[in-house]
Amino acid sequence: MSRPRALENIRVVDFSWVRAGPWATRWLGALGAEIIKIEWPENERGRLPSTTTPQDLEVNLNTSGNFNDTNVNKKSLSLNVRSAKGLEIVKRLIAVSDIVIENFSSRVLQKWGLGYEELCKIKPDIVYVSMSGYGHTGRHHHYTTFGPVAQAVSGLTYLSGLPDKPPAGWGWSYMDDTGGMYGAMCALTGLYHRNMTGQGQHIDLSQMVASVPLVGPALLDFTVNGRGSRRAGYPPGNRAHWPGTPLVNNYRGPTVAPHNAYRTDPGEYNDWCVIVCHSDAEWQRLVQVMGAPSWASSEKFATVTARLQHQQELDDKIEAWTMTLGKYEVTERCQAAGVRALPVQSAEDRVEHDPQLRHREMYLAMAHPALGLHKVQNAPFKLSETPPSNRLPSPLIGQHTREIVEGLLGYSHEELRAGFADGTFWPTKRPRFSYMEEMLGD
Amino acid sequence: MTDGPGTDAQSLPGPLAGLRILELADETGQFCGKLLADRGADVVKIEPPGGERSRYVGPFLDDIPHPDRSLSFWHYNTSKRGITLNLETADGRQLFRRLAAASDVILETFRPGFLASLGLEYESLREQNAGLIMCALTPFGQTGPWRDYLSSDLLHMAAGGEMASCGYDEVDVPSAPPIAPGGGNAWHMGCHFAYIAIMAALVHRTVAGEGQYIDASIHEACALTTESAIANYLYRGEVLRRHTGRHHAPGPTPRTQFRAKDGTYVCALVAGRLNPRYIGELADLLDSYGMAGDLRDPKYQDPAVIAANTSHIIDDLVANFIASLPAEEVYHAAQERGFTWGAVRAPEALLDDAHLHDRGFWKQVEHPELGRSFVYPGEAAIYNGSPWRISRRAPLVGEHNTEIFCDELGLSRRELAILAENRVI
Repeated sequence: MSRPRALENIRVVDFSWVRAGPWATRWLGALGAEIIKIEWPENERGRLPSTTTPQDLEVNLNTSGNFNDTNVNKKSLSLNVRSAKGLEIVKRLIAVSDIVIENFSSRVLQKWGLGYEELCKIKPDIVYVSMSGYGHTGRHHHYTTFGPVAQAVSGLTYLSGLPDKPPAGWGWSYMDDTGGMYGAMCALTGLYHRNMTGQGQHIDLSQMVASVPLVGPALLDFTVNGRGSRRAGYPPGNRAHWPGTPLVNNYRGPTVAPHNAYRTDPGEYNDWCVIVCHSDAEWQRLVQVMGAPSWASSEKFATVTARLQHQQELDDKIEAWTMTLGKYEVTERCQAAGVRALPVQSAEDRVEHDPQLRHREMYLAMAHPALGLHKVQNAPFKLSETPPSNRLPSPLIGQHTREIVEGLLGYSHEELRAGFADGTFWPTKRPRFSYMEEMLGD
Repeated sequence: MTDGPGTDAQSLPGPLAGLRILELADETGQFCGKLLADRGADVVKIEPPGGERSRYVGPFLDDIPHPDRSLSFWHYNTSKRGITLNLETADGRQLFRRLAAASDVILETFRPGFLASLGLEYESLREQNAGLIMCALTPFGQTGPWRDYLSSDLLHMAAGGEMASCGYDEVDVPSAPPIAPGGGNAWHMGCHFAYIAIMAALVHRTVAGEGQYIDASIHEACALTTESAIANYLYRGEVLRRHTGRHHAPGPTPRTQFRAKDGTYVCALVAGRLNPRYIGELADLLDSYGMAGDLRDPKYQDPAVIAANTSHIIDDLVANFIASLPAEEVYHAAQERGFTWGAVRAPEALLDDAHLHDRGFWKQVEHPELGRSFVYPGEAAIYNGSPWRISRRAPLVGEHNTEIFCDELGLSRRELAILAENRVI
């Protein structure tokens, strides 16, 4: 008997594209909601351009690896929503759905005639989550973002780097990932509220604004103490404090030393291990792990204030030791002795070498009709009664058009064929994929 | 300052009104409790006598260290009530069971096995409350070879893959280490996923009536939060390189971060978008400051010419344009013309952001014990039918002991005193 799923019988109309929106609905899908992705190949963003198509495959709408990982657990309806007929069909779909989610610019759905008031006429208790860059409210609602821009404007980028150097920032669209988290959080919160009260609502999420509470302690240091983050020694790289600068908390946690990344053997690009000691006791344990070298018994390293004062020398000495071992050996020796240490892990490390992620089945293989068998990322939580799971590979574009149009919405097969002929379900001049031809047969 | 949009809606209850949540969380899980509390749940934070250790993380009000003056604690514990309770005493466990019997969710961040060692595992708490949901949010989850490893924000950023993607081009900082972005984001990542898991369990409960146990892992949350890095490896075998202020990539890429006249930076995504139409728009933007250079030259109608001049366009024209203006001016001038560019701001610059003010983002939060109020950051999203709000500042140590133990559980003041004397509360 198959297990129940947390979002059983919940249907989501998903207009979202690129990363943040699809990353939100991916998790709703893993929790059991039926995600219907509305797509149109002429202005698709997320499948193309693809930089993650395997080297031996042709780049096309169905071969992006990153799209696959971002869109498992979804169905695809190809539909020209900008046509009168397409709009009518999507309205019928909304009428039998629970959630509408999109991450367009702020006025797009309204222009289509699908603003919140319209959605309410179609489905009075609809939960509508808009995920635009700056939100639907406020003077800059028409501004646009990518993750890096939201991160820059909100202060997140500034928190990353070495003092007196340009910001190192985030090496990916952290706020597309995290914006997706907030999209899913908003949808689930709105859904819970609907189930309890019968009331739907419009939740106006902004990627840029969502970033701001993530720099909260730095903001309070300014609004309460008047201390800005643009100051000597900040940000302090991987350290809790930069030597020779005023001793001020860096908003990551306690101010301690050692607290840094150290090179490990054999010294390649990702051969680093981080070590942190939160107390004198942890430091003394590290000293033992290092073989109790004579330098470590110096007064210079006896107290946390002394270690902070002599941090450069401390870090040099520790690194001389870590250079003699691989990063997993440093980790295992330290952790076995109760010292905080973990390796810097690349994607390859996480997939191939991380024993914890392997044990937790973080990456399980799943077959995709165009990409073949590949590992897919799983949820980072286990629910005892309604476990999340990946059940469907990402959809081929338009793969479920017949299933949805005929099976769910009750249109006839002739109407489906007519819709393909008149450009409602696929551009008339664009070559169809073979599965579309099959869909149009009897 | 606090007047935002939808003032009528401001009087409505939050979306999670009516939920009682017990939070037994340190710095790793307190943000999840805030997310629940600011949305209207009654979150009761249960701390050990003397207060949770996250009260001792700075910065502190006026730089005076005190468990009721940690600004980090203030930010992450808004809208909660706070009690102290020593679970390692028999009285403490008994009181905890009474609280658990009348609660919807327990959020806990103890090391795996700790609650079970006290006889407070989920199965036994559920016997008296079938709808109870319990979320254990821990560094590595309840199982596996790293289950009992120690961690910290920096450690998670290393093992989760964040550091492998963040850092510098060799030209900017030779031999730079991988960089862990600051701000405690490992805890944010774990808390976002924990919130999603808790909400999924709550939605399920509205239909099925039953509660369940959630085993959430911060390490897994971090490992999931590096965009395409995993896909690049799984589908193409690529391990990505770090670049200054921009995306990881398999090889070299044009820069996107430019120094402005005021010494701060602008994030300007230009490469990858260069086509004849974009060149025309870029020429209009630069020309409005008389800095279009040769961008009006008809030769740029040819994509091949654009491609051959990418470095000239980015490293000369765009870089010089940005270098001639303050970052905020570039940001707004560019965005008004449709460019997805932004100023790299320090957090304090956000207080001057007009858009945030329009959204009623900043909240004045009263601290009655100090006779002062302070400005706090507000909500990620405007819930038009059930508003987010900070209902109170973070609790002082044991602030609601009388309210909860006496007024709600019915203990007498004399009993409360005995509990305090015996280090139960």
